[in-house]
Formats: sequence, C-alpha cells, structure tokens
Amino acid sequence: MSLTTELWQVLVVCFSAIFTGNILLTTFLGMCPFLAVSRQVKASVGLGFAVVFVMTFTSLLNWLAYRYVLVPMELEFFRFILFIIIIATFVQFVEMVLERYSPVLYQNLGIFLPLITVNCAILGASLFMVIREYTLPVTVGYGFGSGVGWMLAIVAMAGIRQQMAVERVPKGLQGPGITLIIAGLMALGFIGFTGVLQGS
Amino acid sequence: MKRSPEAKRIEEVLRCSRIVAGGFLGTDTRILEEIIETDAASLIKLGTTAPRIAARMREITERGKAGLGTTVKFDEKRTVAVDENRGQTVCPWPHAGGYQKTITTVRRLDTGATARWSDLSLHFIEAHGFFQGRGSSFRVEPGELVAVLFD
Amino acid sequence: MAATIFSVFAISTIGAGLAALLVLAERYILNYGECEIKINEEEGFRVQGGNSLLETLIQQKIFIPSACGGRGSCGYCKVKVVDGAGPLLPTEEPYLEEAERNEGVRLSCQVKIRNDLRVEIPEELLSVQEYECVCADIQELTYDIRQFRFELKTPDRMKFVPGHYVQFLSPVYEGSEEEVYRAYSISSNPTDVGFIELIVRLVPNGICTTYMFEHLRVGDPVRINGPYGDFRLSDTDAPVVFVAGGSGMAPIKSMLHQMVNAASTRRATYYFGVNTPEDLFMVEEMKAFEAKLPNFKFVPVLAVPEASNGWTGETGLVTEALDRTLNSAGSYEAYLCGSPGMIDATVEVLKGHGMPLEHIYYDKFS
Repeated sequence: MSLTTELWQVLVVCFSAIFTGNILLTTFLGMCPFLAVSRQVKASVGLGFAVVFVMTFTSLLNWLAYRYVLVPMELEFFRFILFIIIIATFVQFVEMVLERYSPVLYQNLGIFLPLITVNCAILGASLFMVIREYTLPVTVGYGFGSGVGWMLAIVAMAGIRQQMAVERVPKGLQGPGITLIIAGLMALGFIGFTGVLQGS
Repeated sequence: MKRSPEAKRIEEVLRCSRIVAGGFLGTDTRILEEIIETDAASLIKLGTTAPRIAARMREITERGKAGLGTTVKFDEKRTVAVDENRGQTVCPWPHAGGYQKTITTVRRLDTGATARWSDLSLHFIEAHGFFQGRGSSFRVEPGELVAVLFD
Repeated sequence: MAATIFSVFAISTIGAGLAALLVLAERYILNYGECEIKINEEEGFRVQGGNSLLETLIQQKIFIPSACGGRGSCGYCKVKVVDGAGPLLPTEEPYLEEAERNEGVRLSCQVKIRNDLRVEIPEELLSVQEYECVCADIQELTYDIRQFRFELKTPDRMKFVPGHYVQFLSPVYEGSEEEVYRAYSISSNPTDVGFIELIVRLVPNGICTTYMFEHLRVGDPVRINGPYGDFRLSDTDAPVVFVAGGSGMAPIKSMLHQMVNAASTRRATYYFGVNTPEDLFMVEEMKAFEAKLPNFKFVPVLAVPEASNGWTGETGLVTEALDRTLNSAGSYEAYLCGSPGMIDATVEVLKGHGMPLEHIYYDKFS
C-alpha cells in the first residue's frame, strides 16, 4: 500500500474512532469511570488525557505482542490475558515515571491511573484492533482516536452535568439515572455521524 | 470497589492508634463509606440530620463548658459535665485545625441514659456525618444519641 | 496436552518477564541516590533519597512534631525548606497559608527527598535531645492523677527551666499498635539533677495515659525528649497570680521550686480549682512552699462545697474566687495552665481587674 493511501486510512480510522464509532457512545465501553468521574470538567480532562495516552501506547504494545509473540507461537486465544497483563504493567510503569519526574501530576492524576487499568475501553480497543486486523500505523491511529473519542464524550458529559447542577432533577433520577439518560441522548446524537464517511 | 487513595488514607488514619487508643473504627470491619452510609440511612429513619444533631450537641457542650469541670443542669431533663484535658487531636480528613480533648457527658435524669462525646467526635458528626465504627469507645448509635439529646 | 503445557508455560514466562521488568524499572527510576540535607546553612548530612523529610530528620534525632505519624493529617510537621523541595503537593495545600507558602514552609511528611535540600530549623528544636530514663517512682495523687518520677540515664541530666515540657514516648502495647509522643509539663525542682517528675491525669482512652496508668511499672525503661516550650516565670518583681487545676499544677510547682531556690520575696497566690475534696492533692507540699516563701499563699477553691464538712476555704468556680479576692491587678502578672475554656474565662476576670494582656502568660498546650 502506498504511503498516502496508508496515511489516509489511518486518518479515516482515527476520525471514525472519534465520531462515528465512538468507543463509549457507540460500543458502550468504559462506562464506569465515565459515570463516576464526569462531575467536573477539570477532572474529566485530566482523566481523558491519561486515557488517550494509555490507550495509544497499549494498542501499540499489544499489536506488537500479538504479531511477534502470540501469532508465531499460535497462542492467539491468550490475547485476553496477555493484553491485560501488558496494560497493567504499562500503567504501573507510567505511575512510577510520573512519581519520579512529576510528583504534582502524579498526585493529581494518581487517583485515576489505577482506575484506567480496569477501564474496559482500553482492553476493548486492543481487541477491536485484532478483530479488524489493523496494521501497525492504523492501530496507533485507532488507539489515539478511541482515546480522544472517549475523552470527548466524558468532557462533554461533565460540561452538561456541571450546567445541570443548578437544575432541578426529579429525586429518583439524580446521579446515575439522569447521567445514563444524557449518555443515551448523546449516543443518539452521535448516530447522526454514521454515513459521514463512506464505508466506515 | 475502587477507592481513591484519599479515601484509603483517611481510613488508615482513622483505624490506627496514633490519635486515640483503639482508633476511631474500633473492631468494625466495614469500610469507611459503608459505615457513613449505614448511619445516614438510620438518621433518615429517625427523621433527623447530622447537622441538627451536631448543633444540639454543640449547644450542650457550650453550656457545660461554663461549669469549668463541674456538673451543670442543662434543662429540666438533662445534666451535663464537660471535662477538658490538655492537648489537641487532629482530624484525619484533609483540612487544617485541631480539636481540644474535651469530653462532654450528658445524663438524662428521667431515664438515666448517658451519652458521651469529644470535640473531635462532634466535629466528625457535624462535618463528615461520621459516627465512628462499632467497637470504638466513642461511638454512640445514632438512635441512642437522639434519644438522649432530644425529647 | 503438550499444547496446554506449552501455552501455560509461555504465558507464565511472559508474565514473569514483565514483572521482572517492573522490578528493574522501580530500582532505577525510583532510586534517588544520595542526597545532602543542609540545616541552617551548616551541619549537612548525607542520606539515601526516597524517604520523607520528616522521617529523615527524626532518624537524625531532630524531633519535628507529628500527631498523625507522617500521614499528612495533622499539619504539625511544618518545616521551612529554602531550596530543593519541589512543587507544592495537593496534600499539603489545606494546611499551609499564603504567607507560609511564600516563605517556603512545607509539610515535611509530604516532602520526598529526591535531591539536595536546604532547610531552616529553629534553634530550640535543634537543642531538643532524646533521653533514656528509668521509671523511679509512681505516686497516686488522686483517683485519676499520678506523679511519675523518672531517673535520666543517657544523657544523665537535662537542663530545663520551670515551665518547660517534655514529650513522653508511649510504646506499643496491647490496644495501641503505634508509638506515640505526648507532651507533659515538668513539675520537679531544677536542682533535682538527673531526675524529671511529671504530674499526669488519666484521659479516657488516651493512648499515653492509658500506658502510664495501666502498664508502666517502677524500673521500666522510658524514652523522653525535650525540653520544649516558652512558658516561664519572668524575672521581675511583680506580684504573681497562678491559676491552674488538676495536672496543670505541674509547671506551677516547678516555678514555685524556682522561687524557693532564688529566695524570692515576690507576692504570689496560687488559685487551685477542684470539684470535691477528693480532687485535692499536694496540699502538704503547698503548705511547705508557704512556709519557705513568706509572701506565697495557696488558695484551693472547692466547686461543690456540699460535698465536704467544715470547708472553710474558698468555694465556687476558681474564676469566681479569683474575682472575689483579687483587687486592682494592674501591676500583677498571671501564669495560667489548663484548658482553653478555663484560661479564657480566667483572662476575662483578670482583664476585669485591670491586668494588661501582656502580663498574662499561659500554657494552653495547643
């Protein structure tokens, strides 16, 4: 495949990961932190960046592990375990580096990093990458796009919830109830993106 | 359930014996959030709120302090004695401020029931809705406390 | 069959390999090497980085106070770090005011030693020493107050001024899983070289007092550090009013010894408030002071007179007795030791009798 076609495919996949196939609003992965952390825009942005970072790099690492370790040994079925191990190791490593070189960021984000390990969107991105048989550059684009899409969704939700904090919500719906309804409405909105890209 | 490092740290301080012998969580094995939520549910059933209880406790303590260690009559049904000890305790939650080791003991003359609290346990109830874990020597069940404080 | 074993083996090896990678990473990334800590621009010492400043200073026998064991919950461990502390952490923010932050004051339990540091520590804190002692005597004064006498072993003497307090180390015992320091005023005579006496009141569920009352025996080893505090008797000739109840008598008693040693002729009155006659103690010692100090008078004030027969002394709250018997007090000095409630009430009475605030000294222990 020529370089421009390759690059174009990466961009298409990235764009679709953010909008048309948003990992949170279309496939509903990564809902736990989405519901728990989306109260304030500031916290959501912090968590969003962390997710973008982890998702991009773990997709990359998992692609390499799949292609050069699992496939040669014909152990593809182990991908679930191996991907999780790699994600956990990577997050631990990032925590260590942060603690050493940026203690303020570590303290501010510190609460989020352990949460990210069990964020199913991270594992989901890696598994999709296998199913859809993406190449390495496309995988990186997909990981990055998924992360950005997830971040977009959580920041939008935080913005809406912050605005709504002064509104009167019926008692039974307060908290997770109204959040899920909003999420559903956002998902409906994002469905409008399908068909924007031909064949995506 | 994933808990933030903050919540774990607060619970660790509450459990340790650094501030008070036996810690504030006594022999309770539940986590902090569960203890607070269970007590909050009891309060709703009792038809009152933590700030209301704390305001009443503060009123009683202030009146008792004027006695400088002697037993004072609070109203027709209650006497109160306030013992002040030297030194301060600190609150595990992240805010500045120390709390005197002041022990207030209220006695109901009609039932003989007593309730006892320190300045710090009053602050716990007032600011954090925390009544301390079962087995902590300063825990008072919300139901018993309400019975002694209010008519 | 072979495939199963092979696949399990492969995954386990990969897992182990990644874990080993993490261990190596930790060793290199979280290794801070040797760092130098300079105190007050001199006396540096070198330590392995990675621990908190508080832990390191205490290991070097510099006793920075801490009530929460270095968990970032009390705000007592403030230290001024001139250089090298890194950016302020969110866990420190609730305890430091704007002015403190500008000066570089930090919570030493939250500052991790990653590089060379320069700190400033007040001289009084640097002159605090740790003493190994032996419990020489325990006297029961009332049902909840005891006097403890400790013999200093290493070092074998402490230079203190009446009004100073020490920090007593309560060890681990059943019911208390951590060592804890608690402060008590020295009650003994400074000329009683090699010994320290403390008057201690049992606090319900108090960690240290429970240890002292229920576990400490004569002959047990004990650790103390000190001396601390700036509560002391002035060296003027102004007449003095002492007000202290319960264990608050400790620094006052030490000050009375000081007056006897100096053959002071200052007019002094000690108002000692108690609830019932059972709460009285050291009455004989006070009478001895009255004999040696011609202008000293001990005034016990009984709050519940009905509890005794034939009490001819003052009654009511100690503040009421003070109010009744004190005349114009413009030239007097007052030394108060006790709870904030008692001190505040007493200060009001003293102000009412014309005593200027600068002449009122107190030890609130807060």
